[in-house]
Amino acid sequence: MTETRSDTRSDTRSRWALLRTTLATQRRNLTIATLIGLLWMCGKVAVPWLVGIGIDRGIEADDRVWLWSGLVAAAGVASGIFTAFRRYYAFREARWTETKLREQLFGHILRLHIGYHDRSQTGQLMSRSSSDLQQIQAFVVMIPITLSNLAMVISVTVILALTNPLLTVVALAPLPLVNFAGRRFSSSIHPAVQAVQQEQAELATVVEETVSGVRVIKGFGAESVQSAKLEVEADDIRRASIDAAKIRAKYLPAIELLPQIGLIGVLGVGGLQVIDGTLTLGELVSFNIYVALLVAPLRMLGMTIAWGQRAAAALKRINEVLDTVPLITDPEQPTALPTAQTGSAQTGSPQRCAPMGAVRFDRVEFGYDDDLPVLKNFNLELAAGQSIALVGGTGSGKSTVARLLIRFYDAEAGSITIDGVPIGDLALHELRRAVGVVFEDTLLFHDSVAANIAFADPAASHDAIERAARLAGAHDFIVGLPDAYETELGERGYSLSGGQRQRIAIARAILADPRILVLDDATSAVDPSKEHEIRSAMSTVMDGRTTIVIAHRPGTIALADTVALVDEGRVIATGTHDHLLATDARYREVLAAMSDADRAAAGPTGSGRS
Amino acid sequence: MWGMNAIEEEDRLDADAAKQVMRRAARMAAPFKRTVLSAIGFSAITTLGLLMGPVIVRYGIDDGIKPADSGTLRTAVIAYIIVVSIAYVSSRQQYIFINRAGEGFLRLLRIRVFGHIQKQSLAFFDRNKSGVLVARMTADIESMAELVQWGLLQFVSAALLLTFSFILLLILSWQLTIVALLVMPVIVIASRKFQRDSNAAYLDVRDNVGSNLSTLQEGITGVRVIQAYAREPEQTRRFEESNRGLFRSHLHSLRVSTWFFGLVEASGVIASALAIGIGGWLVNRGDVTVGTAIAVLLLLAQLFEPVQQLSQLYNTVQSSTAALDKLFGILDTTPDVADGELALPASGAVAVSGVGFRYPETESLVLDDVSITVANGERLAVVGATGSGKSTLAKLMARLYDPTAGTITFGGVDLRDATIGSLRQRVVVVPQEGFLFGGTIADNVRVARADASDGDVRAALDAIGALDRFEQFEEGIHTEVRERGSRLSAGERQLVSLARAALVDPAVLVLDEATSNLDPGTEVIVEHALESLMGSRTTIVVAHRLSTIRRADRIAVIDAGKLAELGTHDELLAINGRYAKLANAWASSQPN
Repeated sequence: MTETRSDTRSDTRSRWALLRTTLATQRRNLTIATLIGLLWMCGKVAVPWLVGIGIDRGIEADDRVWLWSGLVAAAGVASGIFTAFRRYYAFREARWTETKLREQLFGHILRLHIGYHDRSQTGQLMSRSSSDLQQIQAFVVMIPITLSNLAMVISVTVILALTNPLLTVVALAPLPLVNFAGRRFSSSIHPAVQAVQQEQAELATVVEETVSGVRVIKGFGAESVQSAKLEVEADDIRRASIDAAKIRAKYLPAIELLPQIGLIGVLGVGGLQVIDGTLTLGELVSFNIYVALLVAPLRMLGMTIAWGQRAAAALKRINEVLDTVPLITDPEQPTALPTAQTGSAQTGSPQRCAPMGAVRFDRVEFGYDDDLPVLKNFNLELAAGQSIALVGGTGSGKSTVARLLIRFYDAEAGSITIDGVPIGDLALHELRRAVGVVFEDTLLFHDSVAANIAFADPAASHDAIERAARLAGAHDFIVGLPDAYETELGERGYSLSGGQRQRIAIARAILADPRILVLDDATSAVDPSKEHEIRSAMSTVMDGRTTIVIAHRPGTIALADTVALVDEGRVIATGTHDHLLATDARYREVLAAMSDADRAAAGPTGSGRS
Repeated sequence: MWGMNAIEEEDRLDADAAKQVMRRAARMAAPFKRTVLSAIGFSAITTLGLLMGPVIVRYGIDDGIKPADSGTLRTAVIAYIIVVSIAYVSSRQQYIFINRAGEGFLRLLRIRVFGHIQKQSLAFFDRNKSGVLVARMTADIESMAELVQWGLLQFVSAALLLTFSFILLLILSWQLTIVALLVMPVIVIASRKFQRDSNAAYLDVRDNVGSNLSTLQEGITGVRVIQAYAREPEQTRRFEESNRGLFRSHLHSLRVSTWFFGLVEASGVIASALAIGIGGWLVNRGDVTVGTAIAVLLLLAQLFEPVQQLSQLYNTVQSSTAALDKLFGILDTTPDVADGELALPASGAVAVSGVGFRYPETESLVLDDVSITVANGERLAVVGATGSGKSTLAKLMARLYDPTAGTITFGGVDLRDATIGSLRQRVVVVPQEGFLFGGTIADNVRVARADASDGDVRAALDAIGALDRFEQFEEGIHTEVRERGSRLSAGERQLVSLARAALVDPAVLVLDEATSNLDPGTEVIVEHALESLMGSRTTIVVAHRLSTIRRADRIAVIDAGKLAELGTHDELLAINGRYAKLANAWASSQPN
């Protein structure tokens, strides 16, 4: 994309607008922090002045030396107290900004459409909400601190200039150089540090692949190959680190010693003035201390500019996320799904409510990329309570059907209705509660087994959770876990096998009690012997419930009453498995391809290593 | 900004252990002795230069300004300029030298520890989680980088500065030295308390950051499930909970640390106040000159930073010793696979007799009294349920582990008596999944034989019928496969893995068949490659597919670590035992 100049400018404005809006809510505390900073500044500035008077009157004139000494101490105590409060307020407000922005970002990320998530990497979104916010936090800290530092630099300069203009020039001349060197330093050390980190990451890759591939390395006796690789990386790190050290060596001593030039100037020029009688010895010493006093604030000003630049870059990246409008949203005036009571009298067993959950895809068109249609004129009709297996080769579009039904994506043309209501007219949460999907790859949250099953309804009773687990064939292994239903799962918790995870995911869907159940080959990782149990359990769950089974393996087809053969984005045949097998050559072909690919998983030993 | 080198209480070493670690590190750093000494020398010069400032000012005041002697004043200014210039030059040098030594030391440490890790047996890799080993090589060593870059230098110069200042103060005026001694203890005690409190608070912040990040990651990776169940508000609420917890821990750490910064600032000024008060009193009694009082005033201002730095370095040093201790722990692990002395014959039968195996530090036997002889050129399929021990048996046959009972021989030679070199030439294991390293396709094949030419690599690929496929790539066999071979498909990765075995051209092939799905097109090519690789070689294949099993000469069924059945497909079907059951289960999982 080409960026015109005016674009960039408006971009800059909106970039800071986000920070301004957030900071506006913290205006009161930021003002307090700045006011405290000004009080601190007064204490700080008073010290050298009092020291000067102490020397002239207290020491040289032997007049009440303890009074001046006491005043210096009092100013010190005051500036000590205020510096602590300034720091506290500055950091607290900055952390609060970070906290609020992170919540805003997280909420927004969760609302963004799945199409956005397909294109973005988890790591990228993670660093938006962690390291980028850190950069902003570091900048916000500097706001009140910089304001009081700036006030100090100005007032010291004014005081000195009023006392002795010539000496002021001599004393302060090297200080802008400190500032300049500081800026040069941070802009040149930054890439050097990044280069070191890059080399470190490369070494980590070698170590990581060696440890993971140790069986290959041992099997072929290839240790020396990896050692040679590591030595190259270790050398690179050393080289990059020494490069960074050279930059430090160039700037840090200069930054430390430049103020000394001012001190030398004060001694020389000021000394002559004292001899002339135009300057007192106390004033000379206080000039000396003032120069030392300004070093830190000036250095920090340089840092603030660097932080500001980094914060601007971070804000830009964060805005890119926040400015993305969720494409899938609630309709303005949602329609409710007809309930069983209000629905027309449907046929069904007389002792229970008539099943709901009729699904209709009518001439649906859809593609993930504009030029690559996945569904073309896709038609599918399911009566309430009916179950169907979608069968098709890789890329036939069968998995897309489920994603459209819960509006992970919106169809480009055609309509999808549930019980006669177009899904776009339903509130998203109602639609998604009505359709339960068990995905191919199961994701468990870092929480207890019970909470993972009760995901759809955290208030579910233990009985309901256990019932769902039993139906999914998960109860037996759950009670064998260390803390049964209270066992913590997820990345930092107990790790389950693929099959066990899938059974938890099925239990999760069962507990949600949706009108329509979609199984995206939910049993692929389940051991064949267990698969049978799950199948019989599933038939209980599926009884009277509209179910779409997306079959990646021949074994799962048997779950459904009928089969729809999907090919090149369309349903090309429907019927029972036996019927299609007997009549449709393409069906036999697809099935044969699926069986081929299935052999490994369906082998007598299951998966996993022994 | 502060406390970034937090250390867990359980990681802290006691004084003796720390001393030992330090001594060992010093021995290891012996090659850099001269560089370190130069760094210390330059650091001493720099420190002396900084201290000369107040002394020169005193000289300028007492001998130049007071007696109105502008010549002496000029001398003082010139001396000051010279001293600062020398300090600048030597300060630059100290950075360069200390980094050269430190980075050299870290490089040595990296290479040594890695080399030692690689020498370990597979049992070591089973015992130590891969994450831990990677952390030793990365985070632990990097944690010392900070110490190397500025910590050591700061430590040396702060210590020198304190010592020199103290001496200088005593020379200038013993009475005024007492001023410094009045304030110093306050700073030292406060710094220690600050370190302790902020360390604990920082660890708490770190835990909170960790759990906040994983809640965040869970939200992002789980977005599909969350949206599918319409749980966005609940998930956001949960995130806010952890986020607010993080905020509170930040606030806490701020509260326990902030007072310290105020105290340091106040005590610095109080020291100046005392210097004026006591100094003035002494001047007026005629004990010291004005210049001396002023010099002490300026010296004291320089003294507070090093004291603070020293106490803050304490944690950095401690966490570095803890990291070093862990690394030395690795260097102290003796590899438990020893090299034999016999060369294996060119061909022969593989005989497993009475083999038992138990993973170290576990109770149960994985294999128990297994005996099988695989004749030269025979193909044996090993089948069994998950956890039956069949893969372990395969690993023992290639001496990735040593059996805990019984022997495994090739051509009559016990594998334990063979040289590792000849063993790797005769017996090759091809693991389940094609594991690729960063680098090109050729690099990856060459893992099997580092000195193989491009021609050898091509021949190996050709032998398994895979050369054409890779030559189609723009850069042919020199195509970068990217991290973990992500550039290639699963099937192509397996082809590379098989070509490695072909490059070695072993007498015995041990295969652990892949269980994952490949797309049907590649599947055929991989199968063809496998078939040509096995050829007439002695092959032991841990089989998952009926087709592979059917093509084997004999089948061994392993059940709970024991050899349950052994024979041809037909023989085993006839006895209607475990194998027959497995075969039936396989058949019934196919539709119709």
